[in-house]
Amino acid sequence: MLAELVQHVVNGLILGGGYALMGIGLTLIFGIMRVVNFAHGELYMLGAFFLYTLFSLWGINFFAASLLAVAGVALVGAVVERLILRRLRGQPIEIPMLATVALSVIIQNAAILAWDPSPKTIRHPFSPVPLTFGPVHVVAIRVFAGAVAVGLIVGAHLFIQKTRLGRAMRATFQDTDMARLTGVDVDRIYLFTFAFGAALAGASGALLGAVFWVYPAMGDLAALKSFAIVIMGGLGNFLGAIVGGLLLGVAESLGAGYISSGYKDAIGFVLIIVLLLWRPQGLFGGKGLVR
Amino acid sequence: MTVRSAWGIAGGALALALPLLGVDDYYLHLLVMAGLFYVLAAGMNLLLASGQLNLGHTAFFGLGAYASGLLGVHYGLSPLWTLPAGALFSGIAGWLLGLVTLRLRGAYFVLVTIGFAEVIRLVVTNWTDLTQGPMGLAGVPPFNLGAERFALTSKRHYYYLMLALAGATLWITARLLDSRVGRALRAVKENEALAESSGISAYRYTLLAMVIACLLAGAAGGFYAHYITFLSPELFGFQNTVTMAVMVVAGGQGTVLGPAVGALVFTFAPELLRMAAFYRMLLYGVILLLVVMFMPRGLVFYLRRLAASRASGPAAAARDGAPFEAGTGVGESAASPALTVEHVTVRFGGLAAVDDLSLALGRGEILALIGPNGAGKSTAFNVITGFQAAGTGRVRFGSDDITGDPPYRIAGRGLVRMFQRTSIFPDSSALDNVLTACHRLARTGLAGVLCMSRANRAEERGQVERARDLLAFVGLGHKEGELARMLSCGEQRLLGLAIALAPAPSVLLLDEPAAGLNAVETARLMGLIEGIRGHGLSVLLVEHDMKLVMGLCDRVVVLNYGVKIAEGTPAEIQRHQEVIRAYLGTGDAVARP
Repeated sequence: MLAELVQHVVNGLILGGGYALMGIGLTLIFGIMRVVNFAHGELYMLGAFFLYTLFSLWGINFFAASLLAVAGVALVGAVVERLILRRLRGQPIEIPMLATVALSVIIQNAAILAWDPSPKTIRHPFSPVPLTFGPVHVVAIRVFAGAVAVGLIVGAHLFIQKTRLGRAMRATFQDTDMARLTGVDVDRIYLFTFAFGAALAGASGALLGAVFWVYPAMGDLAALKSFAIVIMGGLGNFLGAIVGGLLLGVAESLGAGYISSGYKDAIGFVLIIVLLLWRPQGLFGGKGLVR
Repeated sequence: MTVRSAWGIAGGALALALPLLGVDDYYLHLLVMAGLFYVLAAGMNLLLASGQLNLGHTAFFGLGAYASGLLGVHYGLSPLWTLPAGALFSGIAGWLLGLVTLRLRGAYFVLVTIGFAEVIRLVVTNWTDLTQGPMGLAGVPPFNLGAERFALTSKRHYYYLMLALAGATLWITARLLDSRVGRALRAVKENEALAESSGISAYRYTLLAMVIACLLAGAAGGFYAHYITFLSPELFGFQNTVTMAVMVVAGGQGTVLGPAVGALVFTFAPELLRMAAFYRMLLYGVILLLVVMFMPRGLVFYLRRLAASRASGPAAAARDGAPFEAGTGVGESAASPALTVEHVTVRFGGLAAVDDLSLALGRGEILALIGPNGAGKSTAFNVITGFQAAGTGRVRFGSDDITGDPPYRIAGRGLVRMFQRTSIFPDSSALDNVLTACHRLARTGLAGVLCMSRANRAEERGQVERARDLLAFVGLGHKEGELARMLSCGEQRLLGLAIALAPAPSVLLLDEPAAGLNAVETARLMGLIEGIRGHGLSVLLVEHDMKLVMGLCDRVVVLNYGVKIAEGTPAEIQRHQEVIRAYLGTGDAVARP
């Protein structure tokens, strides 16, 4: 009984790590650029498909392929920012939002043409025999996915807190004009932020894609969930995205185990509606409501 | 007959005649679907006028469809009943969601509405006993006019039914957007604080727009149920909402005709793309991206600009400096002061921004509140006008206790402020700025607005007249057609003054009205404030320009570190030792060689 509960929580945390990566990317992009990125799910999907192509089709080493896949998604993000979002700066919030919606349509349909819509698996090099930790059994790929997610989250945190570029990002987040006055190249920060957020989404897609299935529409639900996460944590809040992601992963895992797997995907949204009744600015939203 | 109504009649006649011109069923079906999406997009557009984008709008379409369909399938009710029932059901759902979410703004609102639609989709998918889940609900009866032998059988019949629904939608949204309701919604988008301080409740008006949008979406859903006769959870898909949003933005958001143009273009365009086969959706995405990037203001805007380059409006006759109609007196009993602040304290953390402040503003008096930066003057203004909660103490307007009332209600009583920084509705014309602020004077209700009743039209004319008077009073009569953000800084301050006067206040609060004005403009402003008092208003002002304060005010209250340190006539204040030490200075620093 207890073992089962622990098992659900562990599964949920691993899933939640992937969600948190998505959420961090989304929340950074919104916090710094004021763009709600509706193509986030497609960047996630691209991470998985790049890994599938490099590793399963071209036979490149799994770990090298993972790194290349993430770099590839970062590059896509940089191109999108430079060619599209930069031109839409200063427009009301719904304009860049619709541009990313259009992008998600484009990327998803391009993926259907490039890889066909059927779901694929990535035959990763990990043993399928579960590892046993006391009462809990976890397959190696999930342990790997969880560990990498934690590593990336910590790395992203250190990067934002400790480096010069990270400091410039935080300055831009707080006050774009002031940052510009103190010599921050805001265009470069925006470019980097979007590429960085895309890379995190791509990493999440590569990790969860290796655990589950890879298919062109896989980003739809993932994107909706990451929206739920960032609302829970407060838009633009880094810590909030991590906590929101883990919370959602565990809640879904428990919900699927004890309630109904059909409603599993609704849990996140029910959570946010309940949360909004109680704290309209999100769990950690100290910044108040954002226009 | 105006050009506009001529176009309207021609368009209506063409729409009525189309099926008789031998248009085949395939195109009639597309036109019906364009009409359906128009009704949905028009509702989304109405709410978006206030800046709130509902990206879960398709949920209300789906709820209306399922409510209508299920009543038909399970209870055999006539479609004449189920269609309005579906609309009502969606309207109520929209009201409930709005109650919870319309305190949110921008991206939060967008994301929560998406989440709502997703929850509903999952419920409809999983509640198979009721909805048959992913299998879909089949066997919804076709629409009929009360009995089955009057069932609508051909596409042509449904075309006319949709034409009626779309026509009603056009009428409703046109009337709302072109009235004080539309002005109130746009005001919330352009400058919410100023809207509230002009007596407009952002919450109430966005809720009204949301409910109307959802009623329309529910009606569209009911129509769809009886037209297609099969429903599936796909109706709740995000893709549907995206289609509506594209129609609104590409057509021209905030305009009456934008959603109609968008619905027509984006219903037919994907059909034309069918020849592209596999590449169809990819091309659709590319077109979408190009439209958003290169025509962000929508087709109607660019069409209208083409038309506008040929005609230009006549300049209004300027009669600057003329008087205007002022508000009526404060409260009931003439004995009490116009405004009383009693022992108000506001703390931010450990710091008392305002500490036990008491003051009274007499009727017809001009009272200045002065003091160094950070003395708590603006905080005091915020407490009086409801933008900031008082920790302790009371604020009375006449004899009424207004402590803790929301800003729009305080403004509604006739206590109106002008903000410290320039505060206008930047994307509206000068005239519309003032007209918007006349909001609280309107008496006709929603029904009057919708039916364009005689009283409503008379009232509109009266308000336009009043707005022109006010613009003339502040000397901006010749600029009424200009966009507010194109005015100079000084002109924007004057416009702000006209906006503050528009709700016919009996007490006016001015927060640094002369800030950023040159000497000539300040002198004119003093004349205007004198004139405002001459209309029977009481004025409380915060100002650093001592020439203005000492030359204009009857009495002065001095604040320092949140505490009132002096009160008296300008002459008394100028001799007051503590005031000189804390604020005015002795002039030594300048005089010293």
